[in-house]
Formats: sequence, C-alpha cells, structure tokens
Amino acid sequence: MASFSSSNGEEDQVLVEEKSFVRTVILNRPKRLNAASYHMISRLWELFLVYEKDPYVKLVILKGKGRAFCAGGDVAAVVHDINNGNWKSSASVFRKEYRLFYLMATYCKPQVSILNGIVMGAGAGFSIHGSFRVATENSVFAMPETALGLFPDIGSSYFLSRLPGHFGEYLGLTGARLDGAEMLACGLATHFVPSVELLSLEAALHSVDSSDQAIISAVIGEYSELPMLEKQSAYNRLDVINRCFSRRTVEDILSALEQEATNEVDDWIQASLQSLKKASPISLKISLRSIREGRLQGVGQCLVREHRIDCHAMRGEVSKDFVEGCRAVILDKDRNPKWEPPRLGLVTDKMVDIYFSKVDDEDWEELKLPPRPNLPASAFAKL
Amino acid sequence: MMDQALWRAWVIKNHLTLDPSPQTRSLSGAPCLDYSLLELIEPASFDIAAMRALLDGHNVPERDWLFGLMTQSKLFNPRRVGSRVFVAPDYNQSMEQQRELTMRRIKFLLEKGVVDGWLTRGTVEEELRKFALQEVADIYDHSLAIKLGVHFFLWGGAIQFFGTERHHVKWLRDTENYVVKGCFAMTELGHGSNVRGIETVTTYDPRTEDFIINTPCESAQKYWIGGAANHATHTVAFSQLNINGINQGVHAFIVQIRDADGNICPNIRIADCGHKIGLNGVDNGRIWFDNVRIPRENLLNSVADVSPDGEYLSAIKDPDQRFAAFLAPLTAGRVSLAVSAIYSAKIGLAITIRYALSRRAFSVAPNQPEVLLLDYPSHQRRLLPLLAKTYAMSFSANHLKMIYVKRTPELNKTIHILSSAFKASFTWHNMRTLQECREACGGQGLKTENRVGHLKGEKDVQSTFEGDNNVLMQQISKTLFAEYLAARKRNEPFKGLGLEHMNGPCPVLPQQLPSTVLRGGQFQVDAFRVRERDLLNRFAEEILQRQARGERKEHALLSSYQLAEDLGRAFSDRCVLQNFVEVEENSPAGSLRDMLALLRSMYSLTCMEEDASFLRYGYLSTENAAAVRKEVAKLCSELRPHSLALVNSFGIPDAFLSPIAFNWVEANSWSSVQH
Repeated sequence: MASFSSSNGEEDQVLVEEKSFVRTVILNRPKRLNAASYHMISRLWELFLVYEKDPYVKLVILKGKGRAFCAGGDVAAVVHDINNGNWKSSASVFRKEYRLFYLMATYCKPQVSILNGIVMGAGAGFSIHGSFRVATENSVFAMPETALGLFPDIGSSYFLSRLPGHFGEYLGLTGARLDGAEMLACGLATHFVPSVELLSLEAALHSVDSSDQAIISAVIGEYSELPMLEKQSAYNRLDVINRCFSRRTVEDILSALEQEATNEVDDWIQASLQSLKKASPISLKISLRSIREGRLQGVGQCLVREHRIDCHAMRGEVSKDFVEGCRAVILDKDRNPKWEPPRLGLVTDKMVDIYFSKVDDEDWEELKLPPRPNLPASAFAKL
Repeated sequence: MMDQALWRAWVIKNHLTLDPSPQTRSLSGAPCLDYSLLELIEPASFDIAAMRALLDGHNVPERDWLFGLMTQSKLFNPRRVGSRVFVAPDYNQSMEQQRELTMRRIKFLLEKGVVDGWLTRGTVEEELRKFALQEVADIYDHSLAIKLGVHFFLWGGAIQFFGTERHHVKWLRDTENYVVKGCFAMTELGHGSNVRGIETVTTYDPRTEDFIINTPCESAQKYWIGGAANHATHTVAFSQLNINGINQGVHAFIVQIRDADGNICPNIRIADCGHKIGLNGVDNGRIWFDNVRIPRENLLNSVADVSPDGEYLSAIKDPDQRFAAFLAPLTAGRVSLAVSAIYSAKIGLAITIRYALSRRAFSVAPNQPEVLLLDYPSHQRRLLPLLAKTYAMSFSANHLKMIYVKRTPELNKTIHILSSAFKASFTWHNMRTLQECREACGGQGLKTENRVGHLKGEKDVQSTFEGDNNVLMQQISKTLFAEYLAARKRNEPFKGLGLEHMNGPCPVLPQQLPSTVLRGGQFQVDAFRVRERDLLNRFAEEILQRQARGERKEHALLSSYQLAEDLGRAFSDRCVLQNFVEVEENSPAGSLRDMLALLRSMYSLTCMEEDASFLRYGYLSTENAAAVRKEVAKLCSELRPHSLALVNSFGIPDAFLSPIAFNWVEANSWSSVQH
C-alpha cells in the first residue's frame, strides 16, 4: 500500500499511512519525544477534518514514532515567546490546539490511539479525548504541569474529573505517573495490549471496513489482556485518595494527607506530600478549581476555561510561576523554582479568580469552538 | 433555532451520503438536537456565570464542591444513560432501603466535612454556607435535605434557641457529629398548625427533680416526626407544662427515645407513619410517652425554668409572647423551604425547557420540518412566565435568607411575615410549575428518571409542613390589619414591611398603557402598590364594619377571608417585585441587566394578568387588562431566544437534570438499554 509523508516540507512531523478504509497518523519528532509543535497541530487538524468528511475513511489510528507517543507541548518555544513579550503568539497556537482537541472529542469516527510510550500534556490531549486508547507495558502517563508552574490543561479537567472517585484530583495535583495497567484500571485507557502484539493489532485494524464502535472494540479486544496492578499502585489506594483529595481546598487536602501519614508510615503518602509541597502553590489552587469546575461542565466549556487560564499563566499578571517553573525544570534544570506567591496561605481567592476570567486585553481572543454537525452519542468522550 | 433550509440540506445530504454511519442512520427519520448542539444554536447573550452568581447569591464554590462529591461517589447512585451519567436516588427501592441509604449518605457528608460547623460555628458566613450546602443536597434528593434539616435546623435549632449554655455544651457538638440523632416532636395527631392546642402534658416531681411527660390520649400521640421511626436517639418534645395544677403553656423538653444501639427506651412507644406519596427516604414516625421521667435539666430553659423545688420562673410574663418565642426554629425551616421550593422549580423548568428546545411536534406546512415545542407561542406562554416568576422569587428567597442570617430582635416581625409569605407563595408556585412542566414534557414527564413528575410527590408536603400555607397567608393579612390599626389609631406613618408607600399619595396609573409604559419599573411598582393599598383599606374597612355590627374581631377576620387572600397575595407579590427591582438596580448596565428588566416585566405583567383583583376592583380597565395580556405574549417571544441561557444560569449540573434534558433519542436507543 502507498505510504507517503506529510507534504508540508521542513521535517515531516506527521506521517500518514493509508490502508483501505483506515488511516494511520504517526507523530514523527522522535528526538523531541514527539513534542507538539504548531506545525504538527496544523497538520493533524487538516487530516482529521479531511478524514471525517471522506466516506472512504472509517477509522483513524494515531501513534508516535520512538519511545514516546507524545511527551507534551513545545514548552521551550512558549517560554521563548513569553520572554520576547509575545505570549499572544503562543496563545494562538493553544487556540489551534484546543480546537483540535474539541474536534477529536466530538469526532464522528472512531480514533484508536496507541500509547506505546510517554503520554503527557498535549499527548494526553491528542489521545484521551478520542474513542479508543490502547495502553501497553511501555505506557507512562502523567499530567506534570503543577511542577512547571502551570496546571493540567489540554482539556484534562474534563477527563480527569470523570475518573473514579477523586483519582483525577490526585493525578492533576501531584503529577503522579501511571503505567499502562493503571491507565486501564482508572479508565484513561480503554484497552491494554502487550507491545509485542501491536503489529498484529494494527494489521487486524487495517482490515476494518466499519465505523461501528462495537466492532472496533471487539477487534482490539482480541489482542487485549487484563494486566495485574502493581501492589504499590496508587490505584490500590483509592480509598485514601478519596478521603484526602475530596477535601474542599488544597490546604485541607494537604492536612488530610498529613493526618494519614501520622496513622501509618507509607512511602506513597510521603511521595504525594512531597510532590504537592514542591509544586507551585498558585498552580495547585488553580488546578483543583479547574478540575472541580470541569466535573460539572461539558468538554467544550472545559477547553474554553483552560484556554483562558493558559493565557493568564503566559501573560503572568498575577504570577510568573509558569516561566519560573520551566526555567527550573526544563531550561536551567536546577530543579529549584522560586514560586511567587511562595506559600499556599498567600494565594488568595481573588488571585485565583483572575485566572478564570476573560483576559483584559483588546487583542486577546477567547477560544471559539468550531461548529460541529449533529453529533452522535459516540462523539463524546467515553469516560 | 435551527435554520429550516439547513435542516433540509442536512436531511438530503444524508440521503445521498454513500454509507451513513449507524449512528446517523438511527436518527435519520427525525433528527434531534443534542446537548452540545443546543448550546451552539442557542448562544447566550449575557454572562451565564454572572447570572448564576446572582441567582445562587453566595458560596458558589462550596456548592460545586458538594455537587462534585456526590457525582464521584457510588453512594449517590450514578446511573449511565447512553453517554451520560445521572445521579439520583433509586426511588424504586423499598421505603426501608431508601431510609437506610439516606442515613448512609448523611454519614458520607459527615465524613467529608460537609456539615462541619453547622451548629458549632455561629457566624453569618457559616450559616450561609450551611444553607448553600443544604440546598445542594436538596437538588439531589428532598429526603436527604429534610433529614438533614430535621436534625440540624429543628432538633439542633431547638437546642440553640430554647436551650441555655448547659444544653449547648452538652448537645451541640455531639449533634454535629451525629453521636446523637435528633428529631422534633411538635405535631400531634389532633393538633398541627394549632400548636398551642397540643395535648401532651408534663408535670414536675420535686422529690426526684424529674419532669414526667405523658401522652394522655390517642389524639396526643406525636405524629409525622421525621427521624422517629428508625434512627433518632433523642427528641425535643413539645408539651403543656402543668405546675401545681396551673398550665403554663407549651414548653420544650429533651427526651431520649432510643439507646446508642437503636433500642427503644422504656416507657416510649414508637410506630411508623408508613409509606407516603414522597419523601420515603425520611422515617416519619409516631411517639407515645408513657409517664416518661426526664431530669429537670432537660427543660430547654431559655424562656422559662422550673426551680428544683418546683417553682415556675419566666422572664416573659405574657404567655402569648412566650409561645411566640417557641416558634423561632420554625422560621429557619420556613426560610429554607422557600428557597428549596425555588430550586425545585428551577430543576423542573431546566429539564422542561431543554426538552422543549429539542422535541418537535407537527409541521406547520407540508414537507416542513416539525416545529420545536418551544417555538409554539402557546408553549412559551405555559413555561416562560413561570420562568420569570422563578427568577423573581429566587431573588426574594436570597433576600429573605440574608435578613434571616443578619437577624436582630427588631427584624423579627419582618422575618416572620416575609418567611410566612414566601414559604406559602413559593411552595405553591413550585407545585404549579411542576405540574405545568410535567404536562409540557408529555409522557416523558411521567418517568421517575425525568424528575419533574416525581418531584410533585416529593415537594407536595411543602405546602403543609412548617406551617400550612393557608394559615400562613391568613396571618399575613392579620398582621397587615394590625399595622393598619396601629398607624391609624396613633396617627403615625406606616413603618416596616415595605408599607411606607401607604403614607404618600396614592399613585395614579396612566389610562393609556403602551409597551413603553407597561415595561417601566415605575408603572409596575405603582400598580402593585395601588393594589396592596386598596386591598388593605378594603379589608380593614370590612372588618371594622363587621365589628361595628357587633361581630367579634376574630370572627370578622375569618369572615373576610376573600379579601384576606387577595391581600396576602398582593403583599407577597409586591415584596417580590421590590426585591427584584433592587437586584436590577444593583447590577451594572449591560446585557445582564437588560435581561433582568425583561424578566421583571414578565413577572409583573403576568401577576397582573393572573390576579383578578386588578379587574375586579378596577385598578386596570378592561382595555388595560387586554394590553397587559398582549404584552405578556410579546414578552414570551422576546424571552424565547434566551430561554436556554436562562435555565443554564440556574447552575444545576447536567448530572442532576435528567435524560430528556439532553439527547433523549440516544438515551432511549436500543444500545442504551441495559441488556
């Protein structure tokens, strides 16, 4: 079968394979762990639009080249924009990206994402909003934004908030990593397929000639396993997580965890406490509120709100923690960010409120969601 | 509204499409609008979040926190219907199962810290937080809210209001932590609204320093006592207090009715009230006291006390005033009921209006798409005035809550009268709204999962408990009559209850009523004042005339019931309008304020259209009345494009609405059936 690369020159960031009714889209920036670039996002947007209209396309497979599915957005580029006083240029990239997530979340055709590696940030956005997410033993999922002075964005307030109990608050606030078995257990993945079976799975999917969710689910099911959770898995602590992360405020969550820690010596609780204490205080408060609001909203509303928060974070009028976090973790790598405000107690509700309001700037644009046709039920996220 | 040409194009496209997906095929006969599409074709012209903040009034993040807690817990019975999850109790469970689940849900709220500080932190902020969280519990399930309300507002409130330091120390923290479970034994089989007539009798034994509480006859059995049938360990028992052969009137005592293991105490008999038309998650029971001995300290003694040697002591000498002091906790209950009724109307309207925006019936011309229910003017007339009234009453419910939490002794009368007026008129409004919504949803309204029909049974009791609505409304006209007499006799101006307008000259309503006049706030306020003023004058005159003919005052009041009813309504409507105008004036100019003006006009003109007294007593000419009616129809068509945004502003999360509020074809499709 014909295999061709993306026509847009510079570095073929997206590859496409056509097999009868199936299109396989491959993220191709392996050296950058397939980090999402403007170029990649634009190309995906074009492809997904074309495939939705094309009656000869029944199924879209999305996967990454190398050891990552996609490790997130191109943070260095964003920080570069901000430092050059040009955050609005990054904001427009975010808008494009969020419209793509919305397209995927409301897509009329099945999307199978093969998550054989790192899935973080934008990588989660490209996959979790779609209908099928196949994890493997190589999968590593995380939303690590609070350590970067940001918050779990990419529409994650929609799907994190719909995980069982208060597992989503736990993932979003601590940035904890999940393996493939955990992703399946909590519902972030719909299937678990050992990586040695992936070639056979793809071959089987290539012969699919229907968009019927049940048929595709059955095909993937043929290769699926039910992996055991590690004994130490966070998912086995769901009762503790529910007790602590259901609390009303970040401060209450911390003190509930500390209370648990006094009851028993437990590395997992200590690790969670450590993550929370290292994260940006204002990020934690923004994240908790965003996830909680997302629980009661549709995916579109979640994206609009998160886009607003992203813009405020880049604009930096309340806190410059995003730039500081990227400096400490990604650029200078000293791992010693100086958060401002430095403590939870100094983060007021008023400061947090600003992140959820429209950006007070004449040139700023609110995210406008693309109009979608009369959507079948299957177009909505499946969590 | 979906453009008809587009719709045709969509249908034709589907005929031509090579191979429509199975989802599309199942819809091809009658395309239905789903949730996301609804929002896209009915964009909001005002800031929904700001409107919600105005409607909820306070503690929005706490409300959302509790909504989230409930959606994330299996205990709240999440149910997948198609691609959505709804949370609601399983009302198909037996009464006993529903009662146990209500109790388990309360334990859950306790563990999560929801009820922290409900009795032990007495600040205004804390009281508002308590109201907000109870309102959210009520949106989930009336039984849950009532069982919380009985324990905290009635039992806890009785200890707070009637008890003194020693009771507060002993009971409040244990109540907040559910170490004790309280109930409130006021109503008897033979006496409900007439609390002063209850027959339970308590005497005092100075040798043992005990009170002896007794149910002397069957009509004295305590009845409808929420919590008594299964769970409560303690009750506040209301009883006549007989000291040395003298009846000192109704007093309140703490009586233990079960031990910590749930066994009924000696000399207490308890029976069940049985299955009810609603609220089956609340264990209403009946209690008989067989000369139960309780220690002297168990008299809640803030109003009156009995010394160890048996002497009756009270700072309030007047038994009428003493009795009035005992009704204080019922005020909190009435405030929360008025608010609860409005949230219930919001649920009904949100579901029904969303359904009316996606359900079609009949084509106007051949080959035309069928028409959306809400595009029928008659359907608009059924629902949109109720929507405007719900907005108006929502603002007044907030106003009532605010003066209640900031109460001072001087405000007591206002709070008593407003809570009576609003409790009665808002709960009636809710029942009327739910019935209209049920019918407007057609057969779908009959399904329990769609909430509107079921809520009728759940909320019907609100017109009875915490004071029968008719009795409450009579008290309003009676109080207004007393105000009238006081002002006339002493030749002093009216002061309080918003009656100051009676002091000035009577407003003159214009003879011609074009749209601009009808929609003016001044005209509307004037019209309501003219009505209230005239009805109060007529009512007072009629009573005074009857008295002049030798009738007793009480008899004269009862005989003038027709005017009393009209007056009670006029007072309540005028207060609601006044509060609405205030909210509107405090909003910054812009699209939200314009929307409030539209709703205010709809509220006022609908009241004028519906209340016959405007015509009966000639405040409006027949031409004027016709103009009002026409304007209501015009307002309907103007509100129609905003109806989705207006119900979305109610802030009720999707999971707490019902399947017909969203894609009901998908919800009812074969693939959604639990095979």
